[in-house]
Amino acid sequence: EASKDHAELDPSSASDKKVILLPCKNPPSRERVQLWLEARKQYESLQKGL
Amino acid sequence: MTTLTRQDLNFGQVVADILCEFLEVAIHLILYVREVYPSGIFQKRKKYNVPVQMSCHPELNQYIQDTLHCVKPLIEKNDAEKVAVVIMDKEHHPVERFVFEISQPPLLSISADTLLSHVEQLLRAFILKISVCDAILNNNPPGCSFTVLVHTRDAATRNMEKVQVIKDFPWIVADEQEVHMQEPRLIPLKTMTSDIVKMQLYVEERAQKT
Repeated sequence: EASKDHAELDPSSASDKKVILLPCKNPPSRERVQLWLEARKQYESLQKGL
Repeated sequence: MTTLTRQDLNFGQVVADILCEFLEVAIHLILYVREVYPSGIFQKRKKYNVPVQMSCHPELNQYIQDTLHCVKPLIEKNDAEKVAVVIMDKEHHPVERFVFEISQPPLLSISADTLLSHVEQLLRAFILKISVCDAILNNNPPGCSFTVLVHTRDAATRNMEKVQVIKDFPWIVADEQEVHMQEPRLIPLKTMTSDIVKMQLYVEERAQKT
């Protein structure tokens, strides 16, 4: 129990704790990417028509 | 043949450059193979002398680059134990995790030729394994998204603070629901051991995906 308390109070062991991180921002959604793809296809077909 | 030692090069930086370049290709390929995004945004390119699929969506590409810019300082200091590409369902629960377990062995000396060609050969095998992994994985439910998790130590997070500010790309500690997976099935994909890096890739797949 005493060693556990010591570990909790020891700042060096606290800073050595394992952590799992992830980006706060999300990647673009599938729907957003799908819209971009459709817009690009339309643009490309318009370019070909010119 | 040129022989390099730790004094000649910052090996941590070299390893980080090699691994981040590889992880970028691997992330694009995972997103393509696991159909996280429409196949129309991907274009065939040649990396490590094999064909791969890379996204041409500017926002997605920037997101992947920003992610890896932040991970790079951790890899450089050998502080990234695992980098995981997580595919999540609509409720943001993980359905699949592609886990890259990374460690850097203590380096003695190495030839420059070995450094480049041997590692490239080993990384090629990882890419080939990812490109065929859909055959052994169950289909994911519709509407999945993805994120990247980094397993590190609290003290090491200081190494990535600067780049987070520069890139305006902050990182947070993952919640339990973002990490926990019910009854995962573990599928080993590939292991490599080289003079500069050891890496293994496995997939954790949720038993019930729908």
